[in-house]
Amino acid sequence: MSKLGIYVHIPFCESKCLYCDFASFSGAENKQEQYFQFLLNEIKGSQYKGREVDTIFIGGGTPSCVKPDYIESVLRTIKETFVLLDDAEITIECNPNSVDERKLSLYKTCGINRISFGVQSLQDETLKKIGRLHNRDMALGAIALARRLGFNNINADLMLGLPNATEEKVLSDAEILIGYGVTHISAYMLQVEQGTPLFELIRKDPEFVPSDDESVIIYEKLANFLEKNGFLRYEISNFAKTGYECKHNLKYWSGEDYIGFGLAAHSLIRGKKVDQRIANSKNFEEYFAEKKTIDKLYVTDKIVEKIMLGLRCKLGFSQRELESLGYVVKRNRNFKKFLEQGIIFEDGDRVKINPKYYGVSNYIIVNLLPEDF
Amino acid sequence: MDKLSHIRNFCIVAHIDHGKSTLADRLIENTGTLAKRDMQAQLLDSMELEREKGITIKLTPTRMKYTYGGEEYILNLIDTPGHVDFTYEVSRSLLACEGAILIVDASQGVEAQTLANAYLAIDNNLEILPVINKIDLPSARPDEVKSEIEDVIGIPAGHAPCISAKDGTNIDHVLEMIVKEFPAPKGDVHEKLKCLIFDSFYDNFKGAICFVRVFDGSVKPGDKILMMQTGKTYDVTEVGYFVPNMQSCGKLSAGDVGYIAGSIKTISDVSVGDTITHAANPCNEALPGYKKVQPVVYCGVFPVDGAKYNELKDALEKLKLNDASLEYQPESSEALGFGFRCGFLGLLHLEIITERIEREFNLDIITTAPSVYYKVHKTNGQVLEISNPSDLPSTVEIDYIEEPVVKANIFAPPDYVGAVMELCQNKRGEYKNLTYLDKSRVRIDYILPLGEIVYDFFDSLKSRTKGYASFDYSMDGFSRSDLVRVDILLNGEKCDALSLIVHKDKAYSRGREIAEKLKKIIPRQLFEVPIQAAIGNKIIARETISAMRKDVLAKCYGGDITRKRKLLEKQKEGKKRMRRIGSVEIPSEAFMSILKLDDDE
Repeated sequence: MSKLGIYVHIPFCESKCLYCDFASFSGAENKQEQYFQFLLNEIKGSQYKGREVDTIFIGGGTPSCVKPDYIESVLRTIKETFVLLDDAEITIECNPNSVDERKLSLYKTCGINRISFGVQSLQDETLKKIGRLHNRDMALGAIALARRLGFNNINADLMLGLPNATEEKVLSDAEILIGYGVTHISAYMLQVEQGTPLFELIRKDPEFVPSDDESVIIYEKLANFLEKNGFLRYEISNFAKTGYECKHNLKYWSGEDYIGFGLAAHSLIRGKKVDQRIANSKNFEEYFAEKKTIDKLYVTDKIVEKIMLGLRCKLGFSQRELESLGYVVKRNRNFKKFLEQGIIFEDGDRVKINPKYYGVSNYIIVNLLPEDF
Repeated sequence: MDKLSHIRNFCIVAHIDHGKSTLADRLIENTGTLAKRDMQAQLLDSMELEREKGITIKLTPTRMKYTYGGEEYILNLIDTPGHVDFTYEVSRSLLACEGAILIVDASQGVEAQTLANAYLAIDNNLEILPVINKIDLPSARPDEVKSEIEDVIGIPAGHAPCISAKDGTNIDHVLEMIVKEFPAPKGDVHEKLKCLIFDSFYDNFKGAICFVRVFDGSVKPGDKILMMQTGKTYDVTEVGYFVPNMQSCGKLSAGDVGYIAGSIKTISDVSVGDTITHAANPCNEALPGYKKVQPVVYCGVFPVDGAKYNELKDALEKLKLNDASLEYQPESSEALGFGFRCGFLGLLHLEIITERIEREFNLDIITTAPSVYYKVHKTNGQVLEISNPSDLPSTVEIDYIEEPVVKANIFAPPDYVGAVMELCQNKRGEYKNLTYLDKSRVRIDYILPLGEIVYDFFDSLKSRTKGYASFDYSMDGFSRSDLVRVDILLNGEKCDALSLIVHKDKAYSRGREIAEKLKKIIPRQLFEVPIQAAIGNKIIARETISAMRKDVLAKCYGGDITRKRKLLEKQKEGKKRMRRIGSVEIPSEAFMSILKLDDDE
């Protein structure tokens, strides 16, 4: 039996950021009591009870905005239900404005050993424009506090393509974060999703954010800068000092088992005959009614996932694995072309994207999928 | 009772939107052919597309019973298409009739196709009954329109019924006039069988069905019939009338309009215009039939998915059965693979056929820019007839080229004469004549190159005259013209499916517009892609598509891999609509889009 990863979703926020399209709700405090009660029952009733767990990721929403006792009870329940390994990686996502010494200490006491801060930027003007509740000083203060309390595995999320972003500002933000001792940086391109307030803002003023081309150039500069400073790009958007890669996220990308608890949480369970991805519903009523979407993975789905997830990681995908699923990627005419053009390269059995082309990885992935599906 | 004297065969002709189908519906309703509850608006427009576009494409016959003066009459109505593209189908139905109702809109008056259709009817020796429709409109001016008909067309209109087909006003008057005005069919039941096939369609159970008008003799199930043109014989399995659905009957005899089924398996064995007679006792002489119609517009039709070539072929075969005017032959293109070069009666016809292929046969297709038929005189004396720009020989081999021209007549209010003439001048038109019909209408005659009309003439005319102008044209031979082929190169490689033939004076602007348009339509690729327009080796326009920089999927949140995979699969699906020219991917819309360049821009 492989070791499980557990994801716990906390769908609450103090306020919704302008770009946010995730399952999270602000002003739903009255639902918290009921939610956690249900969440704990869901964990207790898990059919995977007793399995060994080596990663836990508490994400959101903003897990740090709820009473820390709730977090404590979640972790206690997991420990009572599963076999939590001593060296398990336990992460919690925090917003810089909603942590204090008491909260972080309590997290520490209940076993959390990795903190992921939603920093996004250290530019106050930019933070205000996207509706974040913190500023530069709060972000740096929170990181310093976590360090002082003994957390030595800290991630900062950075967002690229935000209003007012320039190469200098983004590189300087990264430099300062490294100086404050973060060990991991997730750098994501802003995705403007339909239905978000940001989508409307940009529709009215297309120059509210820099162009894709500008953002990609900045991204490339940032990636170089981070690599030079010992943060290796182990996944398309993730950079870490050696040994600080996020074990939980690696499970997603390498296709290992994980189970999700809570609203909108996802699980991957590999079975003897069929693998299934299971998603809890995105709204409270349906979640409380235990409504789930089950997506069975057939051979082509597995092939697509292997290529898609593999190419986004430094590790690439294995040709042999694909062959065992019946797909000889070498026969795809784009494969040869991309090889010749230096867009992808082979490393033994594995195929990887030339990091120069990470920005267009999607295009490359689509072109390497089986031609006839 | 003499049966023949109690039959009336007639059709309804009109300018588009003057109310043909609505009047047809009223006639069916008033004669009690169908119960009111079975009526649906525009009953005879049975094709989904016909209802949607509000136009009639196919001929649809209906048999009605009407009692007049205590005697029962059989009225056979053949509905006809109104659009200029389908003039040919109108002329087909005219041969099966003795009379034609000419509908004229009481507020719009005589329009270009009113005139064209009236002349067609006169040419076919039909009795014409003018009917003034839409008298319910506040702007109706029936008396003025009556005198317009007399002045412009030159037929008496004083007795014309004034009706509102929409409201059902005076429909009985029309029915009476049909009986009184239209002659009964001539013919002899005891003569040898002689039927005209005026249309056909394919029924999955009964095989090919012939729509016929019986001129002499009679035919019944069990008879052995001969198609005089093809020489094939069949056993009749069923005959019947349209009411308007097919209803079998014992026999069809002289004067009747109906259908014959005979387990005719092969689509191509029914030739519209052919004469049916008895195999054992054939008539002496076939009916004159129809002259073969020449397509005026050609374009390449290719399956988006190259593997579906055979499905496309089947679809065209099936469509051809119901549409004799559709022509096609295999063609191959470097860019688009195997497909067909199809000939159409006009742009609307092209649009309808391509839409039907997509809808009724569920096939995704790529169409290339429409082209006309050119006569290329080579220096060695040879004359080539080409419709595909790729077939144009190199400039040194060409002595001169001739292009088809049309006689165009445009009806418009006097205020728009300037705008219309400017448009015709832009389209390389040659001015012929200008006639003031009355104070509200002017007729403008031009000779125009067909190739210019094929582009966006209709739309431009409509927008320049706020929709008040109407237009009709007829082919008028060929005219020598200074034409060149503009080629489009993508990343240095010529894309044959994007080539087009244009007048020399327009080549530069057209080349530039196409390059600009393609820049907008072709998505960015991994590498920079130059787009060039060229005449021979001379580059006349250039644009550049810069390299794609960003195509990355968003963060997968909380392990939601499924969403990401679905996005990828969607993107992959979109790729199927792309064609590859060398290393460049082009969306299939690109091939048609070069047609939609706005001249006014």
